[in-house]
Amino acid sequence: MVLEGFDFTDFLFDLIYQATMICIDNSEWMRNGDYSPNRFQAQADAVNLICGAKTQSNPENTVGVLTMAGKGVRVLVTPTSDLGKILACMHGLEIGGEMNLAAGIQVAQLALKHRQNKKQQQRIIVFGGGPVKYDKKVLEMIGRKLKKNNVALDVVDFGEEEDAKSEKLEALVAAVNSNDSSHIVHVPPGSNALSDVLISTPIFTGDGEGGSGFAAAAAAAAAGGVSGFDFGVDPNLDPELALALRVSMEEERARQEAAAKKAAEDASKGGEQSTSQDATMTENVAVAPSDTENKANDLMDDENALLQQALAMSMDDPATTAATRDTDMSEAAANDQDLALALQLSVQDSAKDQSSQTDMSNLLADQSFVSSILASLPGVDPNDPSVKDLLASMQSQSEVSLFLLHPEQKNNEDKAPNEDK
Amino acid sequence: EERKRTEEKEKEEEEREMACMHDHSCEDHDCSSDWSLYKHIDLSKVSALNEAVPGSAKSVFKAWENRLNSSEGQLVSNEGDPELIVFIPFTSDVKIKGISIVGGADGTSPSKMRAFINRDGIDFSDAQSMQPVQEWDLVENLQGVLEYQTRYSRFQGVGNLTLHFPENFGGDTTQIHYIGLKGEATQLKRDAVANIVYELMPNPSDHK
Repeated sequence: MVLEGFDFTDFLFDLIYQATMICIDNSEWMRNGDYSPNRFQAQADAVNLICGAKTQSNPENTVGVLTMAGKGVRVLVTPTSDLGKILACMHGLEIGGEMNLAAGIQVAQLALKHRQNKKQQQRIIVFGGGPVKYDKKVLEMIGRKLKKNNVALDVVDFGEEEDAKSEKLEALVAAVNSNDSSHIVHVPPGSNALSDVLISTPIFTGDGEGGSGFAAAAAAAAAGGVSGFDFGVDPNLDPELALALRVSMEEERARQEAAAKKAAEDASKGGEQSTSQDATMTENVAVAPSDTENKANDLMDDENALLQQALAMSMDDPATTAATRDTDMSEAAANDQDLALALQLSVQDSAKDQSSQTDMSNLLADQSFVSSILASLPGVDPNDPSVKDLLASMQSQSEVSLFLLHPEQKNNEDKAPNEDK
Repeated sequence: EERKRTEEKEKEEEEREMACMHDHSCEDHDCSSDWSLYKHIDLSKVSALNEAVPGSAKSVFKAWENRLNSSEGQLVSNEGDPELIVFIPFTSDVKIKGISIVGGADGTSPSKMRAFINRDGIDFSDAQSMQPVQEWDLVENLQGVLEYQTRYSRFQGVGNLTLHFPENFGGDTTQIHYIGLKGEATQLKRDAVANIVYELMPNPSDHK
């Protein structure tokens, strides 16, 4: 996918290679949900983002990961430039125990010492979520030892907010800091994702060297689907697309609520609604970028459920004409090309979806219902190939003969096709 | 008392074996050209561990006549910690005959020096556990006239030199104003090519 307006020459590749060890807090304190969805997941997202940014900004950078809690400090992966390996080891981490900050930092230092390329600068990034049981003096001593061995330290202070915790961590970073190479970031709980907050901090932007490189790499990594943003698209990079996706998502949500409402009631108009969407969709040839298609795929499951409900409803009262029962949905179809295309795709696919066929086959077993549905549609031409394809595919799941349209129905269906393909 | 005096004398003799006193005027031979190995140091890659000011290690490598001139800075260790490690890479392989150190006053001069050659990335735990190629006991040498000789056969093809100063004469920090290296430079280069550009397709304009 081409990120419009993204100038790749903005990438400043660090000429300074870094070896980084990330210390993850997987203690019991990470179950808390004050960061969405929970502290551990927010931390994991941030770690993935950092790994991506570091490895992208310079191919010779290496990143390693260790956990500080659980049964003890455990190195998951030693510094490597293989992003896949790093992300893989983040799976299946168990939460438990208490974080051991001092041991974690010392093991990280050891892991960095044995890095393959001695020319790399050493850096440790610590996610301090749980409380810190070591006192300030011990931490300062650790900090001085790091400074002596020229290891930089970044601390993300989040999670538990104890009295002395921030003070201790500040003292630790101050002891390590030489020439502004080490940083501490306090992230209070809130609606902002941990990773979003971190992107703007020096932890990502580096020490001013290659600053824009990291930030740009992070944005690219997020836009590439490492889930930094809502729809996989950075609003800064492509605002129209992001807006279109958001609008269609909201319309879809409204539509689903309305459909659920209808399912509870005893109405038949739902079926016509969803198929009327198809009709308008064929008219709207939306040149949607691939992101929309991805989103459409996500919506497909919802579409299947909706379609099922719609057809169930249509069974009860097939003869009534299509009154737009749900204004939201028709507005959505009329106004939103992306949504229209998404629905079209999903309907076409759901028509082939086996799981939804069981209900549908029963409903469609009675061909009169099908034809009556189609009869009441405004502007649907049953001779329309796409509609025919739809029926044909449904046909494959149940008896063939039941889906032949009765000739007498064609008169009703023969409305002026006001929609072109 | 006599024993103490003989001990001192022995110590002096030892030092004299290791050191060479420049108690002559420098017109006889050109000290400056002797101590010219600094020209073959790759200054951009000089690094030190436990220095108070990052990058200050470069300032100690200069011409012999400037050895007492600290206008461009000096190498000072962190407060309360006298250990220092200086990593000196060369632009070509060198043979080192002698080393001279000018330290600071008031006990800030280093008292011991341990040398390692051709090892990358030595840190303090490595330095303390490894056997150095050679080590010396230093004396306070504020005028820079003391030279510490090396076992020349061990310092023949030196691509980089690491000096570890574990102790000083009691000061809070260790200060080094000058490190002089005496020897010869060969034209050989020990390391593999440092900067490699990977090409998918050759582009003649890159090779001009």
